[in-house]
Amino acid sequence: MAEADPQEVRRWLADLAKGSRVWIRSTVIAGTVAGVATVIQMALLARIVHRGVIEKVAVADLAPLFFSLILVLVVRALAQGAQARFAALSSERVRRVVRRQLHNHWQATGPVELAQSSAGTLAREWIDHVEALHGYFARFLPQMFLSVIVPSVILVLVFWVDWLAGLFLLASAPLIPLFMALVGMGAEKLNQQHFDTISRLSGQFLDKVRGLTTLQLFGQTAWASELIRERSDQYRRVTMKTLRVAFLSSAVLEFFASVAIAVVAIYIGFGLLGYISFGPADELTLFSGLLVLLLAPEFFQPLRTLSQHYHDRAAALGASSEILARLNSHPYAGQAERAAVPTGSPERIELRSVHKAYRPEQPVLRNCNLTINRGDVVALTGPTGGGKSTLLHLLAGFTVPNSGTLSVFGQAPGEFRFGWLGQKGFLVHGTWADNLRLTSPEASDIAIETALRNVGLGALLGTRKDGLYSPVSEEGQGLSGGQARRLSLARIFLADYDLILLDEPTAGLDSDSEVFVLEALHKLALAGKTLVFSTHHQALLTLANRILLVSGGEMRDA
Amino acid sequence: MRELKPWLQLIFKRPVRLFAGGALMFATLLSGLSLLAASGWFITETAIVGLLLAAGTAATINLYVPGGAIRFFAVSRTVFRYLERVYNHDTVLRLLTDIRVALFKGLAGTHGPGRSGLSGAQWLSRLTSDVDALDTLYLRLIAPTALAGLTTMLVLILATVLFDPNTALWLTLVLLAALLVATASVYLATSDLAARQSTRQDDLRTAVIEHIEGFPELTAAGRTGKHAAWLMRQAHQANAEQARVDTRVGWHLAGSHLLIHLAAVLALWLGLALFQAGAITGPVLVLLPIALLGLAEVFAMLPDAFGKLGATMASAARLNRDCRKGQRPQVGAVGELNAGTALQADNITVKYAGYAPLFSHFNLTVSSGERLGVIGHSGSGKSSLADALAGLLPLPHGSLAREACAYLTQKTVLFDDTLRANLLLGAPDASDTELWRILEHMELADRFATEPDRLDTWIGSSGSRLSGGEARRLALARVLLSPAPLVILDEPFTGLDVDTRARIAKRLETLLEGKTLIVLAHGPDALPGTDRVLSLSG
Repeated sequence: MAEADPQEVRRWLADLAKGSRVWIRSTVIAGTVAGVATVIQMALLARIVHRGVIEKVAVADLAPLFFSLILVLVVRALAQGAQARFAALSSERVRRVVRRQLHNHWQATGPVELAQSSAGTLAREWIDHVEALHGYFARFLPQMFLSVIVPSVILVLVFWVDWLAGLFLLASAPLIPLFMALVGMGAEKLNQQHFDTISRLSGQFLDKVRGLTTLQLFGQTAWASELIRERSDQYRRVTMKTLRVAFLSSAVLEFFASVAIAVVAIYIGFGLLGYISFGPADELTLFSGLLVLLLAPEFFQPLRTLSQHYHDRAAALGASSEILARLNSHPYAGQAERAAVPTGSPERIELRSVHKAYRPEQPVLRNCNLTINRGDVVALTGPTGGGKSTLLHLLAGFTVPNSGTLSVFGQAPGEFRFGWLGQKGFLVHGTWADNLRLTSPEASDIAIETALRNVGLGALLGTRKDGLYSPVSEEGQGLSGGQARRLSLARIFLADYDLILLDEPTAGLDSDSEVFVLEALHKLALAGKTLVFSTHHQALLTLANRILLVSGGEMRDA
Repeated sequence: MRELKPWLQLIFKRPVRLFAGGALMFATLLSGLSLLAASGWFITETAIVGLLLAAGTAATINLYVPGGAIRFFAVSRTVFRYLERVYNHDTVLRLLTDIRVALFKGLAGTHGPGRSGLSGAQWLSRLTSDVDALDTLYLRLIAPTALAGLTTMLVLILATVLFDPNTALWLTLVLLAALLVATASVYLATSDLAARQSTRQDDLRTAVIEHIEGFPELTAAGRTGKHAAWLMRQAHQANAEQARVDTRVGWHLAGSHLLIHLAAVLALWLGLALFQAGAITGPVLVLLPIALLGLAEVFAMLPDAFGKLGATMASAARLNRDCRKGQRPQVGAVGELNAGTALQADNITVKYAGYAPLFSHFNLTVSSGERLGVIGHSGSGKSSLADALAGLLPLPHGSLAREACAYLTQKTVLFDDTLRANLLLGAPDASDTELWRILEHMELADRFATEPDRLDTWIGSSGSRLSGGEARRLALARVLLSPAPLVILDEPFTGLDVDTRARIAKRLETLLEGKTLIVLAHGPDALPGTDRVLSLSG
């Protein structure tokens, strides 16, 4: 998959943000209220000190000021709590939308092309990458606004109180992003250099765990754990090299914040002593001086918070880039639009001049014409790569032809339900009943038991404590490959489909499973179902009433 | 807490490092607190002296000490902060190493089949996110809590000395409440939710993978939409729970903030009375409330960490359950091996815990140098028998005695490492010549002689740079290199075409000269030459 263009990623994120506008805006408003409350709080504190210390007002007379102070604190706490609440909600919709987009993409891609990516990768995109968007919408985005709004409010106030102190703050503010960008660039470059090493080093650990049994067999676990220690330590050294630079950017921020406080404090002190005679310095009072001092750290706080959330942005950009690359991937270029509803007989499967090529120079099927009658049992045979699977996938609607029309019992493929048995059986983590009700939710217990008995799983089920309601796989022992495939076949029995497509139903099966599958297919054929399967297996060929040889992109009756 | 205990013990094996890291954090906090407190003190002092000077009263002020202190704290805060971050992240990465090694050693003590109950994806999350939750335990939870306690105590001592015990007592009550709100109370409010959410996330991963693996069948049955909707609901529920945790953490943060600021107001209120009674000076009056405001920064780290504690414990519990359980299987009761016998199994039972036995009263004697073939279809328990003979499955019954063995498992396992490292597993002392010789026999020598790195060619993860047949032959080569006198091969020729299979089967005769062989396969055509064939049924 190609990397998504960074600008496109940002545009996509901005589009997503639109849907959560309300919550993001509410977060910013609550944050602003908390910020303004802080400013008022500091003003009241400075006022109380000034009145009490300089003007010697009695404590009892200051009670109204104290009570307003407490009120402001409560307002601030409420705003802070509300901010957290809104932030928590701000990405819920985004995540739901992206998950739906991904799922729709899976649907559009179809099972054949989807199998090109590992299930683990797709699951990681659907779960972890989408989760990575949360921090961006909940924390980074609102904080970006707040780190402009709150310092501006403070700056205006400080300018109004003492413009020279305001200048100190203003001078330090633009330098911060500049230095942070400089340091950040350095870190990024280092990061790039070490990225390969880092991912390889940490992958080593997983790899050793995966092969642990083999290590045990060769008596090499001690060696491997020493190797893990070594590699993990190497990972640490490489990472620290990057971090030492990356942390400089937060040190820069810290430095400016500290120095600004120190400069402001010393300026105010000297101003109060009357040592500074120009500008507004001789108008300083304990109130204005203390207020400026108390506001100085608050001026930098939103920026510090933003820098803490910076990694949320990086994580979201990385995840979005991969999600977007997935959403943009067009599995088969030049593919025809889903064919218009064909007009065909409801009693036949018809292919007319069907042409299919995954790569233009290598057609898999060339102008194929085929008619299969309802109730036929058709075996597809021929060499590997001859087009058998492609024909099955076309009939299933898992992929569409480049040209030509397909009609299955008068409908377009994929428009109706049918039975599919792939080469790998498919189980979900759950009970036998869960597994069978996956495709037939309404099925009764009796029907399920009958279906399982039909594929020869009755005996195995009998050994399980809770029958249908015992888990399919327990304690690390699942079903064998053959048993899993029979379980899938049982689903087909349960559902009463007209059409059943099977891709090499007996390949790689042990003789027991083979017998059961053959018997089951025979029963289905007797029940008048239309069966189409690819196979090399003699017994299966005998079962068919029609054998098609698919070879070199063409097919003919054998 | 019980679940965390083994991990905490592991973390505290580096006391000096943890202490040094904590001290750096403390120095950073103290510098920040002192910068503001000293500045407040200085401004108030200058304001009072300034007024006196303006009124023409003779007054003096020492500008050097406070001025110097302010500048010192401004620099020390930056320096300590940087050092602290670098040093503590180094610690976290060291702890990560410790945890990985401990985890691996724990796993190495368990037996194979018990582990395979987890899917690959679950493993991945177990080994990444669950471990991550533990390696930051010190930095995010332990150290900040200790520091919050310590700093609070320091401020309270300051209050006792500078103000009076009465004020200190009131402040103690308020700050204690703030500490409780920021720690225990967050934990109690979120632990169940966070643990549930963390489990739900784990289950969801399994379900999504199943959904994708079953995609063709679900599509055929027209159920993808329904099943996806169910997944969406699960994901949404997990998100909603997370939002609830975040919100509760947010309210607790706001609450502890409020209490700390109230403590500052209280200090100012009581302090003003003391000031007006002449018990304390103006600058001292300002110093304490400002120091108290600074405490908010220390406390701010806590609610989030305690909000995640429930999930961290769930992670620890999962790791304890999956990676630390079980014992290395005992090879039955080890009987005496008669001379001329390579393997003797008496009356053994082969079974997985909680399952009906696959074999019981199974007897097998293999004499030295014998070539034994075992045939059984898949599902007949052939591989389980091989596992049991190799000692990977514990034997609940019977006794097994055998010579040291090399075992080729049904599944080809190669490591994300060099060709050499993969081969040397079988025989750590083998020379390059020996390695090339065995590669020659497996018809892999040409393949790697042309690679620029030759024996140091990197084999991708799970041998992804090799074809299935090549990977199988490499795994076979590794087993054949092993000096063990007994060799067990389970389906040795999977993925090999008929001609290669025939040539290699023939070569096995000479390669296994003087060794005993047990080879298992699904049919006689997949066996090399054997003296005796055992057929397994059911």
